[in-house]
Amino acid sequence: MAALDANHRSKKRKQVEKDASPEPPTFSAPVESLEMLSDEEGVEDAASDDGKVDEFPEIDAASDSDEEDSLEDELGSDESDEEDVDEDEDEDENSDDSMDRDIFPKPKTIISGITGKPKRVYPDIEPDYDSDSSTEDAPNRVGNVPMHWYDDLPHVGYDMEGKQVLRPARGDELDKFLQTVEDPSAWTSAFDKNAQMDKPLSAEELDIIRRLYANEVPDAGYDPYEPTTEWFTGKGKEEVMPLSAAPEPKRRWVPSKWEKQKVMKIVRAIRQGRILPSKPKTSNKTEFYSIWSEPSTSHAPPLPAPKPRLPTNSESYNPPEEYLPSETERAEWEALDPEDRERDYLPQKYSSLRLVPAYDRFIKERFNRQLDLYLAPRIQRVKLNIDPKSLIPKLPSPQSLKPFPNYKSLKFAHSARARCISVSPDGAWIISGDEGGVVSLWETNVGREVKRWKFAGKIGALEWCPRLDVRYFVVGIEEALHFIIPPNLPSPMLAATQNLLAPSSLPPPPETPSQVKWASLPSASWSSAEAILTVHLPQSSGLPKQITWHRRGDYMATVSSGGTQGGVWMHQITRRHSQAPFKKIRGAVQLVLFHPSKPHFFVATQQYVRVYNLSEQKLLKTLMPGIKWISSMDVHPSGDHLIVGGYDRKLCWFDLELSDKPYKVLRYHTRAIRSLAFHPTYPLFASSSDDGAIQVFHSRVYNDLMTDPLIVPLKILRGHSVKEGLGVLQVKWCPRQPWLVSAGADGTVGVWCS
Amino acid sequence: MGRLRQKGKAGAAKAYVTRTSAIKKLQCSLADFRRLCILKGIFPREPRNRKKANKGSSAPTSFYYAKDIAYLAHEPVLKKLREHKAFAKKLSRAIGRGEWSDAKSLEDNKPVYRLDHIIKERYPTFIDAVRDIDDALCMVFLFASLPSNARLPASLTENCARLAAEWQLYVMHTRSLRKTFLSIKGIYYQAEIMDQTVTWLVPYQFTQNVPSDVDIRVMLTFLELYQTLLGFVFFKLYTDSGLVYPPPLDVKKDEGGAGVGAFSLQSSSQSASSVVSKTTAVEVDGRRISSKDVRQAIKTMTNAGPIADDDDNMQVAETNPMEVDEEFIPQQSTSDPQSTSSLTTLKALQTLPQSLTTSLFSPYTFYLSRESSRSIFEFIVRSFGGRIGWPTSSGSGSPFDESDDSITHVIIDRPLVERANETPEERERRLRRKYVQPQWIVDCINAGKILLEEPYAQGKTLPPHLSPFGEYEGAYDPTAGQQTQGADESESEDEAVDPEGEDDEEQEEQPAEKAALRAAATANDPASLRAAELAAEVAGVDFGTFEKEVRKSRKKSKAPSNEEEMDGEQDMNKMMMSNKQKKLYEKMKYSEKKKASEVRVYYSSRICPALIMI
Repeated sequence: MAALDANHRSKKRKQVEKDASPEPPTFSAPVESLEMLSDEEGVEDAASDDGKVDEFPEIDAASDSDEEDSLEDELGSDESDEEDVDEDEDEDENSDDSMDRDIFPKPKTIISGITGKPKRVYPDIEPDYDSDSSTEDAPNRVGNVPMHWYDDLPHVGYDMEGKQVLRPARGDELDKFLQTVEDPSAWTSAFDKNAQMDKPLSAEELDIIRRLYANEVPDAGYDPYEPTTEWFTGKGKEEVMPLSAAPEPKRRWVPSKWEKQKVMKIVRAIRQGRILPSKPKTSNKTEFYSIWSEPSTSHAPPLPAPKPRLPTNSESYNPPEEYLPSETERAEWEALDPEDRERDYLPQKYSSLRLVPAYDRFIKERFNRQLDLYLAPRIQRVKLNIDPKSLIPKLPSPQSLKPFPNYKSLKFAHSARARCISVSPDGAWIISGDEGGVVSLWETNVGREVKRWKFAGKIGALEWCPRLDVRYFVVGIEEALHFIIPPNLPSPMLAATQNLLAPSSLPPPPETPSQVKWASLPSASWSSAEAILTVHLPQSSGLPKQITWHRRGDYMATVSSGGTQGGVWMHQITRRHSQAPFKKIRGAVQLVLFHPSKPHFFVATQQYVRVYNLSEQKLLKTLMPGIKWISSMDVHPSGDHLIVGGYDRKLCWFDLELSDKPYKVLRYHTRAIRSLAFHPTYPLFASSSDDGAIQVFHSRVYNDLMTDPLIVPLKILRGHSVKEGLGVLQVKWCPRQPWLVSAGADGTVGVWCS
Repeated sequence: MGRLRQKGKAGAAKAYVTRTSAIKKLQCSLADFRRLCILKGIFPREPRNRKKANKGSSAPTSFYYAKDIAYLAHEPVLKKLREHKAFAKKLSRAIGRGEWSDAKSLEDNKPVYRLDHIIKERYPTFIDAVRDIDDALCMVFLFASLPSNARLPASLTENCARLAAEWQLYVMHTRSLRKTFLSIKGIYYQAEIMDQTVTWLVPYQFTQNVPSDVDIRVMLTFLELYQTLLGFVFFKLYTDSGLVYPPPLDVKKDEGGAGVGAFSLQSSSQSASSVVSKTTAVEVDGRRISSKDVRQAIKTMTNAGPIADDDDNMQVAETNPMEVDEEFIPQQSTSDPQSTSSLTTLKALQTLPQSLTTSLFSPYTFYLSRESSRSIFEFIVRSFGGRIGWPTSSGSGSPFDESDDSITHVIIDRPLVERANETPEERERRLRRKYVQPQWIVDCINAGKILLEEPYAQGKTLPPHLSPFGEYEGAYDPTAGQQTQGADESESEDEAVDPEGEDDEEQEEQPAEKAALRAAATANDPASLRAAELAAEVAGVDFGTFEKEVRKSRKKSKAPSNEEEMDGEQDMNKMMMSNKQKKLYEKMKYSEKKKASEVRVYYSSRICPALIMI
């Protein structure tokens, strides 16, 4: 019976829903429809109770269903059902209205034409805020368009008939203000966008505003505290009949086997001690035991933290007076940041122990120590417990390295820049050439000028022939080399020299004619004033920058500033023949040198020094000094070491057997290095520079390959003045004495003696 | 062609991790990470090239070894910390829900980590641990004196105080204290344990306040580790010297302020024997007991009881007699009698006379007056074998009172007051005893001998108290000039039979003059010369001698200046030094000069202290 009843109810509900669907807002959700159901019933009741609308009486479900049943019984047929639906519809409306019981006007009660019973009739529904605004009968029908489209137009839209709705007159601000003063309802009016004017708010709208302000539900009809309606509970509503007639299952009254098994499992575990029913409380007390009696792990222990520094005398509570800081020291200490302070305390003196107060930074200091322990990276630093003096390389003292040039013994003056000098192989004579074309021959010991030659143009280079049995020197000027015999030679030597330079029978000329022409003076005009032999270098070869002799004195190499083949020419005196050793050479040749013992030939280009084997005619090695522009070069008398100087102030020492890279790079000059020279017998070398200084070094080379050459800076000789950015242009050693000869840009040539 | 090497896959980029990535890897909070680092002793490392280690970034970060972090990842403590995090969540939820019984059971089963394995890892051998207890001792002594509050529970302070007392007991028992220094920061003690010097600093007994810029959590984490470490170290130390650890605490005495005396040292052999005797008694039950057994049992029972708080508790009786050790006799080879080297044996070491310093105070009995700190001087005196008593205002447990006749010294720190009403008995007692200021005790220890009491007598201005730990080499030595003076004084004291005041004065004056003249000799610049002149005037040197001295010193200094010129030539050798060496040399020279100037300042201020004020 009950099930049937339920069916019927649901069916009815469906019907109601179907009917109610034309009114979407109120019947959209099923919950609401349920509400409606109750309303409907309430209305039904109300109808039966003769218009007690406001009361919502308690209805008991059973009676309700009974009533409905009876109603159904009464009507029975489908038609009556339809009618019933109609009525329902009416009643729905009614109920709808009844919800807004505060706002809506009172209904009129009339006698229904169908049922003959009194019936309430309401006035037509005026669409309200809760109804769809599209049904509103606004004069302006433009819809929800931005009203600024009409800003320039006289109208604000169109009404239903398509006529323009004219823009209402709007006064200025003053008018508005006056209106607010005059019109008592002005403060309850709001601007209506659609009508473009202020419209007074209705009572309902004001009510909504008030409710929103008061944080209430905006809907006035909603009652949040409706009394509960008990439909199925309470007295007399209990269901006494069982829903099924099945007998109660056994499991309801037999204890569970599985439960028992599970419990027994736990019980057994507890008995066996696998589960502790109440674990012993964890305690903070640590039990100490002999932890170090077990063998330790193989894991390396971390490095122990460094210990803090032990206190010194100044930390004493009663230090000696001298440890106490003065006023200025105290002020200084206090002005410093705590991190910068050398000591974190100021020494203080107390006359007795009982007066010593607590140290206020004690905890802070402990804390800082701990921060150090866990936040500071530790570095194992090797403490150098050495005498700083021991850091200075142990070099022999300069006193033990004597002799070396110490002072300027004499000065020889030129009128122009002294460019080049040369010391005769016996060391007694010096020739010096300047940029004015003057070549002077003077004595080393006293500086007396013996002879002077004048050439056209600059003197590029001059050099004595290293042979001891003959005596002459070569002067290089523009595109020519002049061979000159000095005056006052002993006659056998003079004869030998003349025979060498101008032999009576000329050697046969080479098969291929050379560009270099050798021309001797006729024997009648031989004198020391004129060059006995002149070698004409090819056209446009420029000034010979360097003349260098082979140790035997037969070969001579010259480097010219211009010309082809790098400007390098090799001249053989006995054969009176010149040849260019290089067909083509990379880079501008700066200098060339003969190896003192081997047939090797050094060629310094701008950045590299190339070593050629002349007999095999091949490149042996390329030295890379790392100098931007090589200015000078000299080879050690042993031939195993080479020094190279550059305009970038570097002096590179090469051990030729060791490496292509410099063994040592010395940078002691403040300006470009101009000239370098090894002493032929003493272990000395000198460098001269544009800073006007000559530096003298001791350079001892050992025969065993294991010992590195010893280089000791000995002396800085100053005495030349810097002129137009140029200092000492060339240095040369006297072959037998530790004397140095230097030519400066200031026009002086100095002899430095030990 | 080999495999292409990807950047950041090897080398420094792999070996180091930043702190952030370490935390990410360990999946713990920064606080937990810090805690772990403190406990495990892991500290950041400085990579050789920060940019390489940080994948090209030069942002300031701290780096850790990746291996260290991998090592932390397996740490049981980390697991416990994670468990604790879960526990904290559960507990807060239970409390939030008001499930009190759940919260209680959770609280009961709170995860607790132990640090035993960490102690073993960090200190694989006992010596390592002893070497590293300096900081631990400082912390424990500090926290023993801190007031307890919400962050510092009273139990923590109590435990620290207990550990501190245990340490002091051990040091006193083994007489291993070596040096003591009264500084403005506190008292430094240095003991020698297992041939390791252990130095610790104890603050003066005042209430310390934890400053606000100190993170107490960090300190507590350290303290947690230190407590465990000290517990294990003390256990080993006590058991090795045959004592029971922990020493039983007499609560009643502790409440009476007995301090160290509240603990009683107990020989472990005795307690073991008592246990044995008890068990034998159980076994013996039912058997006939001989009178000998009974007597023995009684003897062990009396021995087992804690010895009364007196000096006796230091001397634990050895019950088992020492077995006679066999002496090592070097077997000489017949062919070469000189080949065997003789080593010092244990027996030889034992037969060596014990150095006097450890029993320095044993012939004396001290009495502390109430203004000198008992905790300091009880410890010091007892660790050097002296007996000490104190008034009841300094705490209970004094072995004797003030009227005891055996008292030889009274440590007093008060100005001298004339006592008007003094009974002859008191006067006689006063004259018999020596009244010294507390510094005397400490200076005696540091000197290793009993010093004259005279300069330290009550009311006298104390001689300066110097650090026994020494200074760096070449530092200013305040005793340098005074040694002769001191010798003079002692001589004069010896000759005190014929009192010649003038002679004494002269002798006293001489060193001052000498010092002034020395200052004149060392003064180079005009300012210091002027200072030296003033000093000479103060010392009473007439101007003529001063001038002469200056001239002489000038002459002397001129000769070295010649040498300096030679040095100037030698400076050319510096050209041959590499840049690195040159820098190092300059640095060393700088520090040397700085030290020298410091010493000079000290000298000049000693000669004429008034000059400092100018």
